[in-house]
Amino acid sequence: MQRSMLDHKWAGYVVAGLSVFALTLVLKIVGTHVNAATVSLTLLLNVLFIATRWGSVPALFTSILAMLCFNFFFLPPLGTFTIAATDNWVALLAFLVTAVTAGQLSARAKKRAEEAETGKLEIERLYAELRDAFERASHAEALRQSEKLKSALLDAVTHDLRTPLTSIKASITTLLDEARGRVNGEPPVSLDAESKLEMMEIIDEESDRLSRFISGLIELARIEAGELHLRRRWGAVEEIISTALSRAEPITKQYRIAVEVERELPGVRVDEHAVSEVVYTLIDNAAKYSDKGSTIRITAQRADGEQVQMAVEDEGRGIPVTLREQVFDKFFRATRDGDVSQQPTGTGMGLAIAKGIVEAHEGRIWIESGTRGKGTRVVFMLPIGDEDVG
Amino acid sequence: MHREEKSDMNDPAKILVVDDEPQLTRVLRTGLKSRGYDVRAAADGLAGFEAFSDWHPDLVITDLAMPNVDGLELCRKLRAVSQVPIIVLSAKGEEKTKVEALDIGADDFVTKPFGIDELLARVRASLRRANAPSMNETAQTTLDSGDFHVDLESREITVRGNPIHLTPKEFELLVYFIKHAGKVLTHRTLLAAVWGGNYVEQNEYLRVFVGNLRKKIEVDPATPHYILTEPWIGYRFDPGETIS
Repeated sequence: MQRSMLDHKWAGYVVAGLSVFALTLVLKIVGTHVNAATVSLTLLLNVLFIATRWGSVPALFTSILAMLCFNFFFLPPLGTFTIAATDNWVALLAFLVTAVTAGQLSARAKKRAEEAETGKLEIERLYAELRDAFERASHAEALRQSEKLKSALLDAVTHDLRTPLTSIKASITTLLDEARGRVNGEPPVSLDAESKLEMMEIIDEESDRLSRFISGLIELARIEAGELHLRRRWGAVEEIISTALSRAEPITKQYRIAVEVERELPGVRVDEHAVSEVVYTLIDNAAKYSDKGSTIRITAQRADGEQVQMAVEDEGRGIPVTLREQVFDKFFRATRDGDVSQQPTGTGMGLAIAKGIVEAHEGRIWIESGTRGKGTRVVFMLPIGDEDVG
Repeated sequence: MHREEKSDMNDPAKILVVDDEPQLTRVLRTGLKSRGYDVRAAADGLAGFEAFSDWHPDLVITDLAMPNVDGLELCRKLRAVSQVPIIVLSAKGEEKTKVEALDIGADDFVTKPFGIDELLARVRASLRRANAPSMNETAQTTLDSGDFHVDLESREITVRGNPIHLTPKEFELLVYFIKHAGKVLTHRTLLAAVWGGNYVEQNEYLRVFVGNLRKKIEVDPATPHYILTEPWIGYRFDPGETIS
């Protein structure tokens, strides 16, 4: 409240008047010890103060008032507005000019400072507005991208669900037609035992495919929701690899498998089941994307900083450098979405799940070119684990 | 019964199945063979086109999404060299591609997942159309199809024996439908055929004329039996009795 009162222009005049009279009074009391120069400098300081606080017009008022007081109280003859000595006229004039000039200059400086401050505030405001606008735009863009991604994911999911369903539906309706005999006046369907068996095999295989896909979806959803609960305990890398290999046996029958595990490799504190799943996925991919009869190499060795590095390498066509990050995206399939070919395709979730498991172990997974100049090498690194935890 | 479509020959009809899903081609091969068709399969458009050139099938069933040469490209390549009936296998959500395939010249489509009977019905209808004497070439002055009798010279049409009065455009549209009975006709195809190439986007013309035609020919225009709507795609004409 007081501050706002002082901000008024009239407050400047009041303070100017009071301060000049107060200073004159003080100077008069200690009068014998001060000369005219001290008085004029003191009064000038007051002009500067008023100018910086209230601007040019109150400063001009202060200058004239100070000049009158200086003349009346300090320049002989005292108590009159007349001046005896010529040099005192000069002193008075010099005082007035100095007071007015200094007052105007400092008032202008104050104004400039205020303008600069206003400008700065305006720039800050504009900057904030711009930043908000930019944030809104990037948020909208992110939303649009996310919608696009969602729709792409939905397409991928529906394709992967519908494809096996189509085979199942077509098989089962063929078998049904055969079982029902003549339908709608059509001749009975003749399915030999072999064809019937084939239809049933297809239904069996495609149901498994659907089931695998759904399990993958659930696992991926758990990883994404951060609900992957690792059951860590000390285990041997050899055991993890051999578990994965025995599970992968049906798919690796027609491949040469080479396992190279460094001697005296330390045990690792991991969720063995989950890590074995990672190795299995990598072996499965290696088999899918390389020719039968080629070698799939599984290696494990100690790496820097208390880590174990494991890798699965194939002799297939390899993955272009540009796709090496993308293959870890869910539903991405190098064969279908990138370099198209006629190779069989998986669920597009294996590597995404593998990455989720490795990262849940604070590890890292990436893709390199095969060490023998061809093929793909998928490498992952896991911390050996902390003895004290859990 | 399907052998009737090939009545001029003793050989079973030859069907080429093109799909990149090996399981589905296995099923279709067995399912179609069990009905007496001769079947070959190809894994993509390129292999499909090669098989077509070597084997000259009577009908092609193709998936749309395939590696290398996809279903659309295959339709285009096939139409450049042949009028073989093409049935497209498509998924819900692929409407745009499906319409494109039909515009290019595919005859029909089946939406995945489908029962084998649905596919077989489409196969029979397509083969029958392909083997029917061409109405255009016979250059006769009358058309007889199911419940419809058309005198092209006097521009008179009877439905179930009853004469109906049509505007010139309605007449053209109905004659086009009759000549392509059983085939899925996209909005674009119909607009181009009856109104001309500049009107292919004017779906509302078609809606109005189909609505009017239905009022004049259908027993109950609210539940049409002759001009059937294929949602988002176009229409399919069923002339009644003789085909179905």
